[in-house]
Formats: sequence, structure tokens, C-alpha cells
Amino acid sequence: MVVLSGARWLRSRLTDRFWRVQEVLKYARHFRGRKNRCYKLAVRSVRRAFVRSTKARREKKRILRALWITRIEAASLEHGLKYPAFISNLVKSQVELNRKVLADLAIYEPKTFKSLAALAQRRRQEGFLAALGDGKEPEGIFSRIVHHH
Amino acid sequence: VAKTSLTSAPWPEVPKLPDPVEEAKYHAAEVVQKVNGMISAGQYGRLFAVVHFASKQWKITSEDLIMMDNVLEAECGDRIRLEKVLLVGADDFTLIGRPLLGKDLVRVEATVIEKTESWPKINMRFWKRHNYQRKKIIRNPQTVLRINTIEIYPCLS
Repeated sequence: MVVLSGARWLRSRLTDRFWRVQEVLKYARHFRGRKNRCYKLAVRSVRRAFVRSTKARREKKRILRALWITRIEAASLEHGLKYPAFISNLVKSQVELNRKVLADLAIYEPKTFKSLAALAQRRRQEGFLAALGDGKEPEGIFSRIVHHH
Repeated sequence: VAKTSLTSAPWPEVPKLPDPVEEAKYHAAEVVQKVNGMISAGQYGRLFAVVHFASKQWKITSEDLIMMDNVLEAECGDRIRLEKVLLVGADDFTLIGRPLLGKDLVRVEATVIEKTESWPKINMRFWKRHNYQRKKIIRNPQTVLRINTIEIYPCLS
């Protein structure tokens, strides 16, 4: 005999409600108050937490860059240079170190950072002489551009 | 003659820089030879290097681990040479590349240790009062490298 639908005593019932609820509550266990226990409150908190973490991943890059810049500024002021002078002169001397590495060097390798600051200061003064002297004087050594092939 | 506010220029006085020819001679004779001597005599302790790899710059020493957020086309256990070294330093001297150091000057070796995926990161978008939410789980492939050695050779000029 052909049966198209199940008999009336066979109902489709939800049997894994416990695990579906746990899937959400496991992300809320470290929250404060009732939102770490009650599903209705936890759903809203967990959703906000996920959305905030996605946005924070984009903000983290900006925050870290600002932190590196602050640290490099502090370290270069210890050596008597301001941050814009330091960075611009390093770039003009063809030293392509990024801010993350410069901040790490300032913390863990102070002698190397001091030599970089001295390089930037020297390049700065060569730039001043080139601007004020207006030719007929030898170009600075550190202002020469290195060509690679 | 009395000094007024216009006797000297408003910008700070720039000290005279040493003569470039003399400075080049001093640099070649003293500095380069001294550093070459130190390198060939092996009078350096731990070396650190700044390496450009996987579009990021890393400050590395020997025996340390690096994790990058992408796939490397090398099997686990392969030895890899990291070119594009920007800076090498020891306790007494630093070699700064403009922008890179020569390949015959520095050699950085690394081994691929493991290739895994990252922990499942959750991307969620939600607009309130509009019944709109999207949830996506992202797993990025990751590679872990162990830096074996950093060597320098005394070929400065």
C-alpha cells in the first residue's frame, strides 16, 4: 500500500534543543549577570559581542599603528629628534623599516635605534645645507640615492 | 655691533658637516675594516635581523617561531632561505640596508614546521529592527616557520 504522509501518532519533535541552546551559551559563559545563564538574554549579548569583535578587528590595525607611532615618537625625542623629522629623514635615506619594527627596535635594541636616530639627524642637516647653500657645494654623503639592479 | 632679532636667520644655525672625501676615506679605512675584522673574527654574540616576508616585516633572531597568515608552497620540514633582509645587528655593530642588504652578506635560514588553519573567527553583521543578521565562520590557513640561523659574511667594502 502507498503511504504519502506519516501516521498521526508520528510527530516531528525537536529533540536537540539542549545542544542548540548550549551552542550559544558557550560563548556567553564569561559574561556578567544573568546573560551568562539565561538563553533569551544571552542571545542578544552574544550577537552584540560578535558584531563588536568584527568591527574591532578593523580598528585594531589603526590602534596598533597609533601605538607604534607614540612609542617611536617617545624614543626619538630621547635622542633629540621629533617624530616627523625622524620618519621623513629615514625614508629619504632609503631605509624602509615600518613602524612596527621601529617600535620593537626602540624597546629591545636601544643602540640600534640610537644609530638610526643619528642617521636621520645627519640626513636632516645635509638637507638643510642643500636647501640653504644652493649648489656649488658638495652634496652630502647620506643624501646620495643608492641604485640597485 | 649689537645683536638684534634680525642679525641671524630665524632657523637654527646648521653646523658645518665634515668634508665628504675625507669622510669617505675615514669610513672605508677605519669603520669598514674594523667591522669586517670583527665579523671574520666572530666577535659577535646573538644576531638579530629585520626581514621582509609575506608582506610583513619581522624582527627575528635564531631559534624563534614565526606564524604567517597564508599558505607557503613548501612542504613541512623544507629549509627556506629568507632573502630581503633590511637590517642585521649584533651587540656592537648594525648593518643597515638601503633598503635591502646584499645576498652575499647575510644568510637567514628557516624551516617550515607546521601548516594549519587558524581558530574559527566569527564574522557577524547585524542591523537592529530590520531582521538582518549574517554569521560567517572564517578559518585562515597559517604556516609556522622556525628561524634556524642568521649568518653574516665579512664582505663589506
